[in-house]
Amino acid sequence: MLVRFWGTRGSLPVAAKADAIRAKIANALVAANGRSITSFGEAEAFIDGQLDFAASGTYGGATTCVEIEVGDSFFVCDMGSGLREFGLSAMKRCAEGHKRTYNFFQSHLHWDHIMGFPFFVPAFDPLAKIVIHSAHPDAEDALRRQQEEISFPVPFDWLRASIEFVAMTPGEPIEVDGLTVTAEKQQHSHDSYGYRFTDAEGCTVVFSTDSEHKPDNMKDEAAFIEFFRNADLVICDTMYSLADSVSMKEDWGHSSNIVAIDLCHEAGAKRLALFHHEPTYDDEDIQRMHQESIRYEALTREGSELEVLCAYDGLEIRL
Amino acid sequence: MDVSCRSANGILVAAIHGRVDESTWEGFADRMREAIEQAAATKQSELILDLSALDYMSSRGLRVLTMAKRQAEAAGLALTLAAPNEVMREILAISRYDKLFHISDSVDTGE
Repeated sequence: MLVRFWGTRGSLPVAAKADAIRAKIANALVAANGRSITSFGEAEAFIDGQLDFAASGTYGGATTCVEIEVGDSFFVCDMGSGLREFGLSAMKRCAEGHKRTYNFFQSHLHWDHIMGFPFFVPAFDPLAKIVIHSAHPDAEDALRRQQEEISFPVPFDWLRASIEFVAMTPGEPIEVDGLTVTAEKQQHSHDSYGYRFTDAEGCTVVFSTDSEHKPDNMKDEAAFIEFFRNADLVICDTMYSLADSVSMKEDWGHSSNIVAIDLCHEAGAKRLALFHHEPTYDDEDIQRMHQESIRYEALTREGSELEVLCAYDGLEIRL
Repeated sequence: MDVSCRSANGILVAAIHGRVDESTWEGFADRMREAIEQAAATKQSELILDLSALDYMSSRGLRVLTMAKRQAEAAGLALTLAAPNEVMREILAISRYDKLFHISDSVDTGE
C-alpha cells in the first residue's frame, strides 16, 4: 500500500510568493559559504546534507487530496485543489493501462474539500467510472451546486464519465475493490466523516481530517481510539495549537497536533501524518510544529514509539 | 495522580502529584471541580495549581485545565499554574498553553 499526498493544506489553497523563494535561495547560498558546487548532483548532495526541509523545499499549498494506491482501482480521499494534479497523473497512468475506476471517499462537502472536482480531467473521460462514497446524503447536491452557472462555466451534466454516488452508514464496513472501508462520524460543521481503510494483508490507513476533539466531551474520544486502533498510518487534522483549538478557534471544527498524538498513543498506532496545515503558516512554521510534535511524542510516550511525520504535497509513504 | 489542597492568605493551593494522562484525567477533572467549589464556597480569591510534584500532563490534563479555568472564572476566581518542572514547561510551550494561563515559577501565597 502506498499513500500519496496531493493536497495537505487546510481551508484555502496557498502558494509561496517570490519573496519566500528568494529568501530560500539567499539562505542556501549563505549556507554554502563559498563552497564550489558545479553540477546538479553536487547541488542536490549539498541540499540533502546541509539544508532542512523548510530551507530546501515547501510543504505546498493545495487543499485536501490523498491517494491510496492499492489494487487495480484508484482510491482518493477528498477533492480539494490537489485533485487537479492527481487527475493529470491518473490520466498518464491510464494511458499506460491503469483501470479507469476512481473510488472517492469524502470527509465532507466544504468548499476546500470539493473545489478540485471541476478541474478533475478524468471526469471528462467517457471511459472513466467515478464512484463517490460519502456518508452525507447531500454529496451530489454539493458537487452539482459548485458547477452551477453562478459559480463555474462548465455544468456538472457536461461531464462525460459515469458518476455514481454511494451512501455509507457510519460504523458499517463496506468492501470496495479489495479494501474494507469504515466511516466514523466526526465533530465538524455539517458533520464530517473519517475513513478507515484495510487491505487484504491487514495494512490499515485512517484518514481523519476536519475533526474537532473538544475539551467538554473527552469521553467520546474512546470511539476514535478504537477507530485508530493499531493503524499503520493515521492521517490526522492538526491545524491548530491546542491553545487555539480551545480558545479563539473553538468550534471551528479542527484539532491539534498534541491531541492527535495522544489519540494515536492510546490507539497503538504506528505512524501519524500531521495534516490539514493552517494556511497562514509558512514552511518554517509548519516545520517548527513538526519538530515540537516529535518532542511532545517523546515526552509523553509510555509504550511503543509513534513515528510522527508531517504531510506535504508530493509526500509518498509506503506501508 | 493525586491532588491535595491547603488554604493560605485567601488562596487555595491545589498540589498535583504524579501524572495526568488517559488513565487519570477523569479523576483529575473531579478533583479540579471539587477544588474550585471549595475555593468559591470559602470565599478564596485565587486558586494556585502547584505543579512541582506533577511528572507531566498530556492533552487530556491540559483540556481539564481549560474546563477548570472556565469554571474558576465563572466563580470569580483567578487561576495560576505554579512551579512546573522542565517537562511540563515544554508541554505548556508546545501546546501554547503558556499563552492561555498565568504561569509562575513558584507557589507564592505571601506566607
